[in-house]
Amino acid sequence: MQTNMKQNLWGYLFIGPFVIGFLAFTIIPIVASFYFSFTSYDLFNSPRWVGLQNFKEMFTADPRYLHSLKITFIYVFAGVPLRLLFALIVAMLLNTASRAVGLYRTLYYLPSLIGGSVAVAIMWRNIFGDDGVVNIALMSMGIDPVRWFGDPTAALWMLIFLSIWQFGSSMLIFLAGLKSIPQSYYEAASVDGASFFQKFFSITIPMLSPVILFNAVMQTIGAFMTFVPAFIISKGTGGPLDGTLLYSLYLFKQGFEFFHMGYASAMAWVMLLIIAILTSIIFMTSRFWVHYESEGGK
Amino acid sequence: MKKSLLVLLGMMMILWLAACSGDGGNEETSGDDNASEETADNGDSEGAESGDEEVTLRIAWWGSQPRHDYTLEVIKLYEEQHPNVTIEPEYASWDDYWQKLAPQAAANELPDIVQMDLSYLSQYAENNQLADLSPFIGSNIDDTNISQNAIDGGKVGDGVYGFNLGVNALSFHYNPEIMSELGYDEFPEEWTWEEYQEISQKAVDAGYYFDNGLKADVFFNYYLRQNGKRLYAEDGSGLGYEDDQLFVDFFKMVQEQVESGATPTPDFLAQLAGPEDDPVVKGEGVGIFQWSNQFVGLEDISESSFEFAPTPGPNVDQGLFLKPSMFFSVSENSEQKEAAADFINFFINDVEANKLILGDRGVPVSSEVKDALLSEVSEAQAKVFEYVAWAEENSTAMGAPDPAGAGEVIELIDGLQEQIAYGEISPEDAATQFRTQAESILGN
Repeated sequence: MQTNMKQNLWGYLFIGPFVIGFLAFTIIPIVASFYFSFTSYDLFNSPRWVGLQNFKEMFTADPRYLHSLKITFIYVFAGVPLRLLFALIVAMLLNTASRAVGLYRTLYYLPSLIGGSVAVAIMWRNIFGDDGVVNIALMSMGIDPVRWFGDPTAALWMLIFLSIWQFGSSMLIFLAGLKSIPQSYYEAASVDGASFFQKFFSITIPMLSPVILFNAVMQTIGAFMTFVPAFIISKGTGGPLDGTLLYSLYLFKQGFEFFHMGYASAMAWVMLLIIAILTSIIFMTSRFWVHYESEGGK
Repeated sequence: MKKSLLVLLGMMMILWLAACSGDGGNEETSGDDNASEETADNGDSEGAESGDEEVTLRIAWWGSQPRHDYTLEVIKLYEEQHPNVTIEPEYASWDDYWQKLAPQAAANELPDIVQMDLSYLSQYAENNQLADLSPFIGSNIDDTNISQNAIDGGKVGDGVYGFNLGVNALSFHYNPEIMSELGYDEFPEEWTWEEYQEISQKAVDAGYYFDNGLKADVFFNYYLRQNGKRLYAEDGSGLGYEDDQLFVDFFKMVQEQVESGATPTPDFLAQLAGPEDDPVVKGEGVGIFQWSNQFVGLEDISESSFEFAPTPGPNVDQGLFLKPSMFFSVSENSEQKEAAADFINFFINDVEANKLILGDRGVPVSSEVKDALLSEVSEAQAKVFEYVAWAEENSTAMGAPDPAGAGEVIELIDGLQEQIAYGEISPEDAATQFRTQAESILGN
């Protein structure tokens, strides 16, 4: 009994730091923000209970909110598939046996390492500037340069390109998935005379589908929470014409610029709900396209 | 298998414990060091009089690099003269500054001295974040050479919640060479908004921009004042004008300026990487409407020299007012309010310090400092002093400070101006939208 107690004590001791951190920085803020979402709270005075008013205001009286929701959806639904596609293509290229492959893997992963950083976003501002590389490239192809920061649609696409460029982490996961597909399948298919595309769609994609599912879910969640690039590239404004006012940026503005912490908390909970719904949709559709070997192909 | 796992875990645990105890040991010793230092310090200060007490002040401001540089020098100067005071600076750009300040305020962690802007002063003062400076004025802060008017600029209700660091006035900074190319050897003495549009047209015909546009929250307020109104109601509970036609007239004019090419299009302006790219700086524009303290910076980054002109009339004196460029406030949670007031006093009244500041935070409020600087300042700065002296004679009182929520109203009106410039909304619709939304922000 005594040794048991002692063992337990050690256990609690070891788990203590995590539990304390989890309580202080995750659970308590979550509970608090849930409470704030039903209040009018300006950070200085104590919160005042307003019931569902924040949620009502969001969908009925705040066109800016609906706009930020819209562009966030564009950002996610254009950005995530493109990013996954890109990651998969590069992962397949890097899966070939070549001597320089190690170097390339590192190079392609680098953008993700420095991913959310301010430095990258600032660099992005230069790349897409009036005399930036992108416009020079466009002009050399005979296309008119684009005012990336002046045109709301272009500005959003610039953010999407930035997110695609940071495909490294999903690429690594794809790479691991590709490595685990037995070579014998491809050999057998080759013997049967299958083309590259036949092999790709009949072996690679099904075998990789659990990994695709994982990446799709993680990237969607991550994309919804994008903040830093939008903040830096628009210099905190979400402009031009709110073209880069992503959800988290607007949430941040409401909370810390306009002192509407209650409203911002309500926004956070709506975002949680949206992410939860989207994730469950992805999971629900997954049984039609994800292939688990352990379930006998079902 | 199991056994080896246990051994492995055991080893990891030992390593971890060793690492922990090592850390703990270090912390303890370093903690002891600190403690002994602290007691020693306390001993010192108890022995000496309060003037030698060790004081650490946190001070926060916004600005650009030149301001950061000289402010750090001023701090160094102060620390040299007050060896017992250590000052920890926290500085940022305008946007970052306010986003950092809000959570600090919520956590009662505001720096001891906070640079404040007119548009946020009420918000922070009314929420009991700032200390009333009145008890320090006349004692810690020497006000012998400062006019009551200047001090009152920081008044919210009955208290002074920010000490005025300098005054500004709206003005037009133009390039005289381009003006004479347009056929004006002298700037029209009293120009009106009609003449503004006429000269703009001449500039366009000659291949120049006329200006960079009129920043909505600043110049719409000026325009309203010319018409005997104000942007905010005196008690801050709503807008200070009833007739939306004023909004429509002003923004129609702004829109026409963009359409005629006198003002760059908003997408062009958004693409500019920094002030160096500004058309006015590059000699492609006639001038720029801005606050008087921005004149020196404009001359610094451009090759050409500029001149001052007042803003367009009629009723310039009704429209113009002397604005406290910025304030230093002391936070309510500060435990060193007196020491903070001492530093503010130094910042405002010390001539040596102001030789570093050189009016970047507005024309000094202390007449003694102002006189001492007149021989020191550059030609550009002298023009600023001269203009502000003129504006002092040709302006009316500023009125109540911006109400709480002004920050949000400013973002609202600037956003609407952007939409008008992009042709997304008509000035008429913008006027209605502005009224509804601003009233709801201010009414809260």
